[in-house]
Amino acid sequence: MIEELRNKARELLKTKQVEAVIGYQRASDGLSAIPCVIRSEEEAGRLIWDAACVYNLCGYLKDFRAKKLGIVAKACDVRAMIVLISENQLNRDDVFIIGMECCGVVDEKRARVSGRDGSDISSADKCKSCASCVPLAYDCLIKEKREKAKVSEDADKDKYEPVRKLEAKSLSEKSKSWKDEFKRCIRCYACRQVCPMCYCPRCVADQFMPVWFSKAGGIEGNFSWNVARAMHLAGRCIDCGECERACPVGIPLRDINRKIEKDIKELFGYEAGMKTDAKPFLACFDKNDPEDFIK
Amino acid sequence: MTLRILLNRVKTDTLLKKNMTKFIKKEDLYKLLNSFLKDFEIIGPKQIANKGIFYEPLESIEDLYLGELFAIEPAKKFFLESSECLFHSGFLDGKATVQDAPLPDKRRIIIGLRPCEAKGLILLDKVFDSEYKDRSYINNREKSVIVGLACAKPDKSCFCTSMDGSPTGSRGMDVLLFAVEDGFIVEIYSDKGKEAFSSLGKEPDEHQNKTLSAYKQKRSELIGKNFKVPGDLSPIFESDYWDKVSFPCLSCGVCTYLCPTCHCFELVDEGRKMYRCNDGCAFSNFTLEASGWNPRPTKKERYRQRVFHKFDYFKKIFGENLCVGCGRCIRHCPVKMDISEIVSNAPSGAGK
Repeated sequence: MIEELRNKARELLKTKQVEAVIGYQRASDGLSAIPCVIRSEEEAGRLIWDAACVYNLCGYLKDFRAKKLGIVAKACDVRAMIVLISENQLNRDDVFIIGMECCGVVDEKRARVSGRDGSDISSADKCKSCASCVPLAYDCLIKEKREKAKVSEDADKDKYEPVRKLEAKSLSEKSKSWKDEFKRCIRCYACRQVCPMCYCPRCVADQFMPVWFSKAGGIEGNFSWNVARAMHLAGRCIDCGECERACPVGIPLRDINRKIEKDIKELFGYEAGMKTDAKPFLACFDKNDPEDFIK
Repeated sequence: MTLRILLNRVKTDTLLKKNMTKFIKKEDLYKLLNSFLKDFEIIGPKQIANKGIFYEPLESIEDLYLGELFAIEPAKKFFLESSECLFHSGFLDGKATVQDAPLPDKRRIIIGLRPCEAKGLILLDKVFDSEYKDRSYINNREKSVIVGLACAKPDKSCFCTSMDGSPTGSRGMDVLLFAVEDGFIVEIYSDKGKEAFSSLGKEPDEHQNKTLSAYKQKRSELIGKNFKVPGDLSPIFESDYWDKVSFPCLSCGVCTYLCPTCHCFELVDEGRKMYRCNDGCAFSNFTLEASGWNPRPTKKERYRQRVFHKFDYFKKIFGENLCVGCGRCIRHCPVKMDISEIVSNAPSGAGK
C-alpha cells in the first residue's frame, strides 16, 4: 500500500500534474507520523501510510493557495474538503485527492496521556463511529490490502450515546460539568489551529478592540471562547475529532460539536460533508424547515 | 515541630553546606504532608481520569500522585501565572491613583516537581529575579518550598541530559524524593527543606545508600535522546532550513504554554485593571504591531524565533540554553514536531 502511494506521488510529480504532495512521514520517535510536503520524485520515498497517520491535512492546503496540490486523505479528511469546497475555500480542480482506504487510526491522545507508545492502543473514538472507510470523493483510491477494511465493529452502535448522556443531565449539572472542563482551558488555541474548518484570516479571538474573549482572570473568557468556537462550527463540523485530540488539557470538545451535529441532523436532516454537491447548511433555506424550536 | 523559618522567611533560602539524606516510609511522608495542610497550601500532581496528570492545590493528600507519569502542564503556572492582575487604577479625591495588586500571602509546598521543571525555575529567575525584579514572581518563589521527585522512568521524548540536566538533578530543589521500595529516600539541600523534613525518618542504611547511587546512575542512562546543540546558530538565521522544518507547525500555543521556561507575556487592559497574560511566539499575532506590520509574518519566522530564543539569544546573555529537555513540546505537539531533532539537525555554518 505504501509503495503504491509513493509511486502515485512520483507519477503525479513527474507528469507535473501537481506541484507538491502533502502527506505523512515518520516522526522522530520512529512510531508516530508527522505531516510533510513532497516536492520532488526523490523525496516521495519519505511518504508513509499506517494507523499513525492521524492528522487531517486539509489545513495545510491554505499554505499553497492557487497551486495544484496532491493530498493524502482518509474518509474523514475528504469530508472536510467537501465542506471547504462548498464554502468556496478550496477549488476542486486545485487538488488531487489520493484517497486512502482506512481501517481506523490510533488513539494518539490516549497513548500520550497514559504514557504508552501507541502500538498497543486501539482505534480512536472517532473511528468507532465512522460509517465508511472509503472516501466519498477522490482522484485515485489506494486500497487496503490487508484483511477486509472494516473500520469498526461498533459502527452500528448508537453514535450519539455520549451526547444523549449529556442531554439527560439537568441544567445545573451541565453548567457545573462544563465549567469544570473549561477552567482547565489554557487558551493555546490548538483546537482552532488544528481544525480544518477554522480558516478565518483573523479569528475573532485574536481581536483586541474590543476583546471578545477575555484571557484575564475567571473562566468567563474560556467559556465564551469554547462556546463561540462550537457555534461557528454548527452545520460545518465533520467530526474529524482533531480538536479533542489536540487539546492538551483533555476537554471533551467532540461532545459539544456532536450535540450540535445531532440537533441539526434531527431538525433538518443535514449532515456536513456527506454529499459532494450539498450547499453549506447555513446557506440553505427551505420553507418546510421546522421553526417550533425558535421561542 | 516548629516551622520558624518556613513561616517567617522572606529571603530566598540558603543552601546547606552538606546535603542531608533521609529515608521516609510512604505513610510517614503522607502523614507529614497532612500535618502541613493546616499552615500551607500543598500543591501536587493529581491524576484526573481520561485527562492525565495535573498540578493542583490538594485538599487531601490522598490525591497526591507520585508515580512515573509526567504532569501535562509544568508547575511554572504557580510562579508565572497564566493571567494575573498587576495593578489597578482608580480615582480618589479627584486624583488618579494606581495601586499594585495585592500579593498572596499563603505559604505553599509544591511537591512532585521533576528536576527539569525545578531547573526551569532557575532559568526563569535569571529573567524575573535579577536585574529586573518582578514582585509577583519573587513573592511566589519566596513563599514556596520545592519538594521534587526524581524521575523513575524518563519518557521517550525527554532529553534533559543534553541540556546539562539529569533525571535526578537537584538544581532548584529544596528537597528531592527518590521513590524506592517501600518508601522514599529524601535528599535535603536547603534550610527550608531541612526545616520541613529533617525531623522525620531515619538515616538511610548501607543498602539504601547503594540503591540511591545506582538509581542516579541508571536514570541518566535511560534518556534515549542525546545530542549537542550547535554553538552558534546566527550564521544559519537566513537558511531555508527554517522554511522546511516549520512546515508542519500549526501555529498553536501548546509548545510555549506547556514549556517550563517559556515566559513571553502580553499586557491586557480590562476595565481599570492591567493583567499580564501568557503569550507565545507560535501565534500569528505574536509580534503584530499596531500599524498592522508584523516582523514575523509566517510560521517560518515564528518557529525560528522559538529556536533562537532558546538556543541562541538566551545562551548568549545568560550562558545556558532556555530549555530543560522536559520533552513536553514534543509529547504534546498536535503534529509531533520535535525541537530536539530540529536543533540537532540544524546545518552548521552559513549556506542552505
